[in-house]
Amino acid sequence: MAGGATTPAWLLESEAGAFPIGCSGRRRRGSALEKTLDGLAKVVRQAITSEETAARPGLLQSLDARAKLLSVVALLVAVGLVRHIPVLAGVYLLTLALAAASRIGLWGFVRRVWLFIPVFTGLIVAPAMFSFVTPGEVVLPLGHWFGHEVGLTRQGLTSAGLIVCRVATSISLVVLLTLTTSWPRLLSALRTLFVPRLLVLVLGMAYRYLFVLLDSISEMVIARRARTIAAGRNGRGARAAAGFSGGALFGKAHALSEEIHQAMLARGFRGEARTLERARLRALDGIWLLACLALAVLVVGGDRALGL
Amino acid sequence: MSTEPLLSAEGLCYSYLERFAALADVSLEVQRGERLALLGANGCGKSTLLKILAGLIFPDRGSYRAFGEEVSEPKIEDEQFSRGFRARVGFVFQNSDAQVFSPTVREEIAFGPLQLGLAPGEIEERMNDVVALLEIGELIERAPYQLSAGQKKRVAIASVLVMNPELLLLDEPTAGLDPRSRHWLLELMGELGAAGKTIVFATHELEQLEWVADRCLVLSEAHRLLAEGAPSEILSDRELLLRANLIHEHTHQRGALLHSHPHERGHHG
Amino acid sequence: MHIPDGYLSPATCAVTGAAMVPVIGTACARVKRVVKDRHAPLLALGAAYSFLVMMFNIPIPDGTTAHAVGAVLIAVLLGPWAAVVCVSVALVIQALFFGDGGVLALGANALNMAFVMPFVGYGVYRLAAGNTSLTSRRRALAAGIGGYVGLNAAALCAAIELGLQPTLFHSANGTPLYAPFHLAQTIPTMALAHLTIAGAAEFILTLGVVAYLQRANLPLLRINHPGVVDTDEELAPTRRLPALRWALIGIATMIILSPLGLLAPGGAYGEDAPIDLNPHSYGLSAIPGGLQHYNGFWKHTLLADYGFASGRHASLGYVLSAALGALAVGAAILLFVAVGRAVARRRPDVQTG
Ligand SMILES: Nc1ncnc2c1ncn2[C@@H]1O[C@H](COP(=O)(O)OP(=O)(O)OP(=O)(O)O)[C@@H](O)[C@H]1O
Ligand SMILES: [Mg+2]
Repeated sequence: MAGGATTPAWLLESEAGAFPIGCSGRRRRGSALEKTLDGLAKVVRQAITSEETAARPGLLQSLDARAKLLSVVALLVAVGLVRHIPVLAGVYLLTLALAAASRIGLWGFVRRVWLFIPVFTGLIVAPAMFSFVTPGEVVLPLGHWFGHEVGLTRQGLTSAGLIVCRVATSISLVVLLTLTTSWPRLLSALRTLFVPRLLVLVLGMAYRYLFVLLDSISEMVIARRARTIAAGRNGRGARAAAGFSGGALFGKAHALSEEIHQAMLARGFRGEARTLERARLRALDGIWLLACLALAVLVVGGDRALGL
Repeated sequence: MSTEPLLSAEGLCYSYLERFAALADVSLEVQRGERLALLGANGCGKSTLLKILAGLIFPDRGSYRAFGEEVSEPKIEDEQFSRGFRARVGFVFQNSDAQVFSPTVREEIAFGPLQLGLAPGEIEERMNDVVALLEIGELIERAPYQLSAGQKKRVAIASVLVMNPELLLLDEPTAGLDPRSRHWLLELMGELGAAGKTIVFATHELEQLEWVADRCLVLSEAHRLLAEGAPSEILSDRELLLRANLIHEHTHQRGALLHSHPHERGHHG
Repeated sequence: MHIPDGYLSPATCAVTGAAMVPVIGTACARVKRVVKDRHAPLLALGAAYSFLVMMFNIPIPDGTTAHAVGAVLIAVLLGPWAAVVCVSVALVIQALFFGDGGVLALGANALNMAFVMPFVGYGVYRLAAGNTSLTSRRRALAAGIGGYVGLNAAALCAAIELGLQPTLFHSANGTPLYAPFHLAQTIPTMALAHLTIAGAAEFILTLGVVAYLQRANLPLLRINHPGVVDTDEELAPTRRLPALRWALIGIATMIILSPLGLLAPGGAYGEDAPIDLNPHSYGLSAIPGGLQHYNGFWKHTLLADYGFASGRHASLGYVLSAALGALAVGAAILLFVAVGRAVARRRPDVQTG
């Protein structure tokens, strides 16, 4: 094969003349889709990698994953039951304190929590501030419509604030858990709690494959960019390519996932992964869990004391 | 009983997706303690053959026996057989990306011994040894799929060696390693072979062949067995190597050593 | 259509979570039995794929977010129970690492995306694919349509769950404690986003991957299609009933979408849409542009005259419409399962006969 055919003549000729290398002043940025894909791959990769923060010596890192998981669920339920913004703010501040005690950079923590879902939530609930959606006492009148006063209502504003605060606090709690717990510990915690074996197994493998898919995406974007010379708007081209790439990506990832599975089989995997550490619950974990349960009760009780 | 070869395969045929042929009627025998090299051009079926030998894929036709037992899909589903077989066979994949799947290097290396149910203390001990052997101490807490290609390869090799398998199947183990590590690995293979381990490996490196292999198999681009013999025999058969598309017409031979240098195209053909 | 923690009351989370426990249990048991060891990586890959697909989402005011899910694709490849497992896993990863879809709300999210979607979508797919060969275009198209319908069914469920919140949970002075939008708002907006952008994405994705596999990896498609012949030439030509099938699909689609028709006229701000949906008030332009179109739709309302300021007699309408919506979805699922079974049962004698 190699060496059988002569090298085509065009490959040996220079094509430098065809595309002048100087700057023309016109810039072609990657299409929006390419950028989104690439950016997304980066964000996801960053978000699901918690090994570094989980290895730091901090308060939450020293606790057992099961205790942490249960305490987070308890606090989530409490936060779900809270009906006053100040109480939510209090719990939110507590999550900040916990983050600090666990040596998580506060700015990064806040950004990670707020950047995505609470902002989306803000967009989503924005219409609820208006009297059309949430009738009630108009605090900021915007005019009249068929004889009704319309504007922002107290109830609407409270409701929107409540939901954004609750969403942010809930996410803070979950992010605290994932940032301070390495993925394998989290998995074995899930296994020892209530989650079916198969689900945990697929969860573990899916996490690994996520990196395969992300790598494939990055590679595909880069390869496409490297091959694209044609100037001009190639947004449509990129979108069409993405449509086809969906299939190609699946095919590629499938081949690799098959091989990863084979590698697991080759080392004695029989459908149930055993892990290195059999973590034992210590007194500290028990104390932590009880403290969190007490806190949850306290939060809900305090909230009810403020009125329904 | 003792005369039975460690591995014996008869008339193996395999095709991917029922369309792409990868092996056509390949038979081979491997004796205990032997170091066997698989040679062949890209795509001739070396990796496929190794995967069949590792009991990861199963031939469309043909039979395969290892350690005195038939290896087949229903057989490998058997708990005891599969455990015994996996404990005896170690496989280093060509693609180390596929080989590594655990969240950290430490867990990657511990994975095999854990699945086989070794005691934690023993695992710890072995792990420290292979980590030192492969000089991957600094990587131990990193995610294995975020390493460089050569580092991944080292982790992959470590994760297989830690199981101390009787039969080592290595798919291009030296590819992607720096010259020093490559040399070191070849030495290790020699040492393991001398210690009685059986090694079957695929390779494109003809230079050190005589040194690391007792015997060679050459696969053709038609996915058939083209030749078999001692490395010196195979390497001196220039016509055979050309037929297998393993060397270029301008590859020169000095003694049994191969050596090539670029020529201007168009001189021939 | 992920619902984050905080949108739903803990009570709703508990109910939906409890509903999903037996579903997940059954799915795990069935998958273990049916899907071979060899296909475990496919399950995980399906989950990872679904996770990535779900990352591309846009916020929908009055609802949650719109995005494709990939559940029907997995259902086509590995069966609907496998899709339950895969999408649930994807949701768990999302909930843990992104807070996109809550931990408490996992039950609700799984109900919508991991249960309703694959089953409805798969039913539609089976109906639309009929007894065509594995490589036929119609089968790929059927998968796409299944994805589209399944996604919309899931979005409808999410809209119902969200829309019930303000009616069921509000404080003494009328402040909604959880998601503040009523059914009459959540259903049209969610439907609109999913009938257009997200639905199209799901359609293209499902169709694209199935078409790719038809060309590149037929054995993968065979896993869940035992007894289906590879090419059209192998098919007995007489037993095709495309007209009837398409009619059935049409009816099925209408059933799925009918709650929208039932509920949209009751829009609480239908009469007042122009101000309410002033896009610049929250910096969005694309989605409300579509809603503008809906505005005309709402003008002729059945309940046009109820006083939105009091909101008192409206609640009866809401509850009524919610019940109707839930009933319609339930009926549709039952119908799909029944028809799917019937089709599945009939297939063997189609082949032999
Ligand atoms: N996953 C796959 N799907 C389809 N065809 C495949 C797959 N893997 C390998 N093949 C085909 O099977 C044949 C043998 O492949 P194999 O990987 O065994 O070759 P090889 O000898 O290891 O090559 P190389 O030296 O490049 O590693 C090739 O022709 C290849 O195209
Ligand atoms: Mg190979």
